[in-house]
Amino acid sequence: MYGNTYIENSEKQNKLTANEDPKKLAEFEARIAAGDKIEPHDWMPAEYRKQLVRMIEQHAHSEIIGSLPEGTWITRAPGFRRKLALMAKVQDEVGHAQLLYSAAETLGKSREDMLNDLIKGNSKYSNVFNYPALTWADSAVIAWLIDAGAIVNQLANSKGSYGPYVRALERICAEESFHLKYGHDNVVFLATGTPKQREMVQEALTRWWPPIMHFFGPSDKLSVHTEVLMRWKVKMGSNDDMRQTFLDMYVPKIWDLGLTLPDPNLKKNEETGKWDYTEPDWDEFKRVINGDGPCNKERLAVRRMAEEKGRWVRQAILKKDSQYVAPLS
Amino acid sequence: MKIKSLDPRITRAKIDENTQEGVLNPMDHFQTYEVFEQKKRGTHHCHVGSVHAPSAEMAIIFAKEQYTRRGQCVNLWVVKTSDVMVTEYLDSDIFETTETKSYRDPNSYKVMDRIKAFKERQTEL
Amino acid sequence: MEFTEKHVLGLKDLLYRMSDDLLILGHRNSEWTGLGPILEEDIAFSSMAQDKIGQSLALYQILQELGENEPDVVAFMRNAEAFHSCKMVELPIGEYDFSLVRHFYFDHQSAIRMDMLKDTVVEPLQMVARKFRGEIKYHTMHADTWMKILGAGSAKGKERMQKAILENAGLALGMFELSDYEVELSESGIFAGEQALKSTWIETVSQKLESFGFNVPDWDTVTPVYGGRKGEHTADLQPLLDEMTEVFRIDPAAEW
Repeated sequence: MYGNTYIENSEKQNKLTANEDPKKLAEFEARIAAGDKIEPHDWMPAEYRKQLVRMIEQHAHSEIIGSLPEGTWITRAPGFRRKLALMAKVQDEVGHAQLLYSAAETLGKSREDMLNDLIKGNSKYSNVFNYPALTWADSAVIAWLIDAGAIVNQLANSKGSYGPYVRALERICAEESFHLKYGHDNVVFLATGTPKQREMVQEALTRWWPPIMHFFGPSDKLSVHTEVLMRWKVKMGSNDDMRQTFLDMYVPKIWDLGLTLPDPNLKKNEETGKWDYTEPDWDEFKRVINGDGPCNKERLAVRRMAEEKGRWVRQAILKKDSQYVAPLS
Repeated sequence: MKIKSLDPRITRAKIDENTQEGVLNPMDHFQTYEVFEQKKRGTHHCHVGSVHAPSAEMAIIFAKEQYTRRGQCVNLWVVKTSDVMVTEYLDSDIFETTETKSYRDPNSYKVMDRIKAFKERQTEL
Repeated sequence: MEFTEKHVLGLKDLLYRMSDDLLILGHRNSEWTGLGPILEEDIAFSSMAQDKIGQSLALYQILQELGENEPDVVAFMRNAEAFHSCKMVELPIGEYDFSLVRHFYFDHQSAIRMDMLKDTVVEPLQMVARKFRGEIKYHTMHADTWMKILGAGSAKGKERMQKAILENAGLALGMFELSDYEVELSESGIFAGEQALKSTWIETVSQKLESFGFNVPDWDTVTPVYGGRKGEHTADLQPLLDEMTEVFRIDPAAEW
């Protein structure tokens, strides 16, 4: 479950490809323009590799950390059907992390290094997972709408240029469609249920709406950087475009259930064909993504604990002659 | 301070909020194995991805759930990534075939014209 | 043969001990989801927890056919005293050594029990026993692979495992606490009984532990931890049940 890559436009833009061999760069760009994929041992600009590692790693972290807010409800899921489905869903998120870390490894960064960057706070993950799943209904809203947002993004990214990422996303997208159905089913049961259930789901939706609007990230600056990443098919759509696609697909479905969204300005503009909305609070977004959210500390501490608890097990069975090479593809 | 979480599992784990533990060393997550699955008898095994595992036996155990928990599968292979020899994409021109190799192509053998001409000559006699 | 009331009571007790064990252990093991020692193992362990809960559901469905309440009510609405699960399955997950040894002990028991039931005269139970054979085989393969690799691993790791093997032997024997209906179950061809199950299990796990390089518990001198099958439980079960039903209880009339 992942929104969009959080790119800091800190690079001096003319330096992006300054040191690259122009002939190789031209061949590389021609390959991508022709719709061909880049594979692990191909020549690639340093900036392409760097941004891909950053993006796939953020995506992987989002899956593994994303398993925590919903995991909150694993022991309390009501009834067999929900319990089994929630377990399978959270399990899938861990499985997605496994696939994505492997894809990133093919670019030369080990899983251990990526996990270390996660737990040390050097690397980002989707901001939404720094918010708590206060009630069972929150887990339903996450499963439906956060996964819906993730699918919008992942479908776009699955048409990107890097082979291993594209292959991982194909498998991931297929599995996410189960999440979406499960989440929708869960929300529908609450929204069409007893007054108490409706109240729960409305409250959860109201709580999660600002993070959902944050999910795709702030409007992209029209920078040379963004343009290059789009040309290289690393970034497959602007944050605003993804948000619009999401609103188009899901706001009507939410309203259909008689639920309300906490934004009086939210409506489809007949002239532009786009959704108008109150600009999300991007200061809050930046504050939370930089560490000061309601759950940042817990999420990372839990991840540290999981690695630490597993340490003796792993060390006990590590064979001395093991040799690491990056996975093939 | 121990974390008091909304998640009862986490509260039970008694985690120090400021823990600095968990940092990994190289090889902590083992080496990788490439995974090949056969969807049904009579078909080829196909590469589906990789797993980190301490041994081939364990790689099979892991691959079974990571790669076949939904799909149909009748057989799995795993092989250490480090044991796989691969060609370089840079050398992918070695796979190009040239027109001079048309002798490998069934379509380049067109004998019907010749047979027809032969038969015509026979009747003329 | 015609079933008497005692045969039905015996069958229900058998089904409850199986389904309650699977439900509670499945719940416990699900707590590892997202927190396992390595991503790949996390996925495998979660699958097996799901399988257990799925198997418990199938058994509660047979109970429903025998006149008990529907599975969601039976599983989520009873108090601890009504549970027939053994004490071993209700303990918290602890560290991975305990969770693995419990998994090894329990799943071999499950595999042998299901194997004994594949020809039972109770047809729906026969079907369940056959249906889940593959799942259970994977569970024992998983457990054996872990025990084997840890038995051959570092001295420190092996020592932890050895300790868990010995310390939990009594809890494991608690799985075989006799039913009040052993005679009825075996004479009717429903189930050959806990004693027979226990003998095969001891033989199997002892042989495996030995081949993995572990010391085998001296089963004759181990004191079994009984009580669970009769509704006496540790202090850990009721809180687990309360947690399981927390959402349900928000609005018991609702469909979740």
